[in-house]
Amino acid sequence: MYTSVLTDRRSFIKRMALLSAMTAAATMFPGILFAEEQERGLPKNGNLDWKKAPCRFCGVGCGVLVGIENGKAVAVKGDPKSEVNKGLCCVKGYHSVIAMYGKDRLTKPLIKKNGKYVETSMKEALDLIASKMKETIKDYGKDAVSIYGSGQWTIPDGYVASKLFKGCIGTNNVEANARLCMASAVTGFMTSFGMDEPMGCYEDIDYADVFVLWGNNMAEMHPVLFSRMLDQRSKRNIKIIDLATRTTRTSKASDRSIIFEPQTDLAIANAICYEIIKNGWVNKSFVEKHCNFSKGLTNIGYGLEDKFKFKDKPEKITFEEYKKFLEDYTPEKVSKLSGVSVRDIKYMASYYGDPNKKVMSLWCMGVNQHTRGTWMNNLVYNIHLLTGKISEPGNSPFSLTGQPSACGTVREVGTLTHKLPKGVVMNKKHREIAAKIWDVPVENISPKPTYHTVEMFRALDRGDIKFMWIQVTNPMVTMPKLKRYRDAAKKEGRFIVVSDIYPTPTTDIADVILPSAMWIEREGMYGNSERRTQYFEQMVEPPGESMSDTWQLIEVAKRMGYEKQFYYKEETHIEEIYNEYIQFHKGKKHGMAPLEVLKEESGAIWPYVDGKSTQWRFNSKYDPATTKEGFDFYGKPDGRAVIWQRPYEPAAEVPDSDYPYWLNTGRVIEHWHTGSMTRRIPVLHKAMPYAYVELNPEDAKRMRIKTGDKVKLTTRRGEIIMPASVNERGIPAPMQVFVPFFDENMLINDITLDSFCPISKEPDYKKCAVKVEKV
Amino acid sequence: MKRLGIISLFTLLFAVFIIVWNYSYQSGLEEAYIPINNNKPTSYFLENEGMEYSKFDLDYANMPFDENHQRTLEEYYKNRAYYGAPPIIPHSVKEDLNIGRNSCLQCHQSGGFSKRFKAYAPIVPHPEMTNCKQCHVPQKSNSLFSETNFKKGKFPEVGVNSALNGSPPTIPHPIQMRKNCLSCHATPSTPKKIRVTHPERIDCMQCHVQSNNNINISELEVFIRKNYTNEK
Ligand code: SF4
Repeated sequence: MYTSVLTDRRSFIKRMALLSAMTAAATMFPGILFAEEQERGLPKNGNLDWKKAPCRFCGVGCGVLVGIENGKAVAVKGDPKSEVNKGLCCVKGYHSVIAMYGKDRLTKPLIKKNGKYVETSMKEALDLIASKMKETIKDYGKDAVSIYGSGQWTIPDGYVASKLFKGCIGTNNVEANARLCMASAVTGFMTSFGMDEPMGCYEDIDYADVFVLWGNNMAEMHPVLFSRMLDQRSKRNIKIIDLATRTTRTSKASDRSIIFEPQTDLAIANAICYEIIKNGWVNKSFVEKHCNFSKGLTNIGYGLEDKFKFKDKPEKITFEEYKKFLEDYTPEKVSKLSGVSVRDIKYMASYYGDPNKKVMSLWCMGVNQHTRGTWMNNLVYNIHLLTGKISEPGNSPFSLTGQPSACGTVREVGTLTHKLPKGVVMNKKHREIAAKIWDVPVENISPKPTYHTVEMFRALDRGDIKFMWIQVTNPMVTMPKLKRYRDAAKKEGRFIVVSDIYPTPTTDIADVILPSAMWIEREGMYGNSERRTQYFEQMVEPPGESMSDTWQLIEVAKRMGYEKQFYYKEETHIEEIYNEYIQFHKGKKHGMAPLEVLKEESGAIWPYVDGKSTQWRFNSKYDPATTKEGFDFYGKPDGRAVIWQRPYEPAAEVPDSDYPYWLNTGRVIEHWHTGSMTRRIPVLHKAMPYAYVELNPEDAKRMRIKTGDKVKLTTRRGEIIMPASVNERGIPAPMQVFVPFFDENMLINDITLDSFCPISKEPDYKKCAVKVEKV
Repeated sequence: MKRLGIISLFTLLFAVFIIVWNYSYQSGLEEAYIPINNNKPTSYFLENEGMEYSKFDLDYANMPFDENHQRTLEEYYKNRAYYGAPPIIPHSVKEDLNIGRNSCLQCHQSGGFSKRFKAYAPIVPHPEMTNCKQCHVPQKSNSLFSETNFKKGKFPEVGVNSALNGSPPTIPHPIQMRKNCLSCHATPSTPKKIRVTHPERIDCMQCHVQSNNNINISELEVFIRKNYTNEK
């Protein structure tokens, strides 16, 4: 053994002072000052100020503690007190603060003059935006201006955007990128339950016996929740079933990996319902008391053409009719279509049907980014409704969100063309509520929704929209069939404002670039997947002239003459806005926690009633808004949830002899969306430096492609060359390829298809036909 | 009948031979790596308060000590983006398609010497968490996407954390997810500077207390002694 260097020649007194200082005195007697020298040796970190915030990145919404030192964020740890993550984060969360300190951070507003970006002052930039908007409205009408926001908008950002555009200007041209990820979840909830967002919460994970993941690579996309599941598995006998089109880390870590042919999840869900009914596993009293049966239109199209319109016509049906409909979905028939064995279908059905097993279904983009996304959401609810496994601890169909505030901002504040903070623009009552709180004449709020996201960019292309303000999102990487919309944005006579923190392909098309303050450089709130609203204070100063998106909007609103509505004071505006906003949600069904509570706790779950979060909605045991014993699906007028008859229909574009492969796109654990933040975090960029195309090893062998070889992907929209990846992060099924979309140097969305779910208008990024060649 | 018996005996022997040969061949193929202990993890997940030690019955008191293959504290710190960050994976990773449970933990649950890396595998202080790559990522590239202004900040020094000459030093770092002190302070991969001289005394916190840096200062209220006699 050796002697360690535990002693040196420091004097007795100094050591004495150090220990007592570090353990007690510093906090208890703040008046005592320490000699610099005495603190030397201990890292400066020793005196870090740890402040709580929700994580900047994904929809899990982990609580983090950010270590602040000399006005800079220098460290992150998981907040042990957070109910979401109990102290654990993922690699993005741990390194999140580094995203604020990229060298190429935008710090000054830039205005495009003769093809060049010129630095200017914030005042001038905001003046220009306001005058441009006024001019556009005067020349082309209100519906020629638009705002395109984000599920990464804080609640106040989205709220003032909606108030300015819908309330003051009077156009419903308000959309957000959550249309691209969460719209099908919303329409799923609305059609099945009449109220958005999950009935359960993350705590369900601690009670469920079986987890069925519908096209959801949780190990990478919702890693902390996945770890929570793994933790349960090490303690109890639980089963994780991964039902997917690609073999991922999740498949490898689950108890059963089931691979299906893209789009056939519709048929699989129906087959499970068929089995449940056939085997008498239906929870009869639940269905009789709490459910209706309905069907809607079929053959509903894919939205590929401009100005595509669709309106569903729901029609009530009987249980017998529904049962008859399901006869097309016997496990044997569905097995042929989906490639899933009869045994596996029956295996899943038996878990759903077993009254002694609590089942949680989890899904995210696989189900939502689907040309029948709304149907798919309905179908998963069908399974839970038929078996009565819903709204109680552990029995939980759980729609996960991708973005940190897709729920909090886009869905709850309602920054979508048809939405208002409470209700929809089509409803007169809802318009009246909004007009009153917003202090605008009710006629201001237009009763007609305008453009959903894809159509909004199409309108920009056609010239129906002349002015677009883009905040906290990077559509020039994420729009499907991207080339069309990039060209659109560059057309003459379009004026694009982009608020962001770094240069991106989207700032490249901007006429004005505003530098934004991000995350903890300002104050705000996010709302995560489990209806939890979380607050964060401003912890560090934003660089240069950067300004929060909220305040940018307020400044422009004032310049447009809406001082009365935008009366907020700079020091207190977040609080004022939040207090104004929560008036919309007053009541037992959607009450929001007061700001003091959010500041104290690691967030609160709405409905927040009488000082308590409601963890399970629609169940009288937990939800004070219910009006009868047992279950009350009060989103629907008769308190009954709807079981929908939804058939299998093929994808918009199916592989054929010219384009024989399926193309699937998605994320990786290291990068957040388009990587504009995470790629500036050295650890993450070095871990995942560029995009690639994953091939099935058999296909690769046949084409003599190995990892690193250049591969050309061609679709009807264009082509792209990228390096191959074989047997690495994921393994697509034979005749399928997968490409992550984070890399702005390899824009996979240039060749994806802009088909969408006709009900939700959410594009399908997971399926189109592609040709694969070695170059 | 007899012939059949002989044939099947031979077949059986042959099969056994194949299996044994295959096994030894397979183990020969495995990376030269000597696990010290192979106990299966039991489970705990951030619920335990206080220190965790010897959770997997590793014999920390008798860990080999190999001066030729010891890391320095600088190397140890180099793998972290800031003080307290989850370390990166400083070597290439063969299988990307797994969460780490069955691969990372093979070496990092119990440690051992790897000939390939000519180093001892560090032992993970939280082997119950099996989604390793959720927090630890390898580095596949040396380039940056764009430069950063983020500074690593200072890491703690050694030998300055005791109150008295020779008194037990305090713990200068948070112990969240690092409650098993010995897994970092008493293994062959432990940097010399932070290796404990007395690993046989397993109740570390009996003598070493934490300095206050993992307490959320803003949560502590200022203690004010009340003067009860003056109370109205
Ligand atoms: S799981 Fe999501 S919310 Fe949690 S730390 Fe990772 S990115 Fe942040």
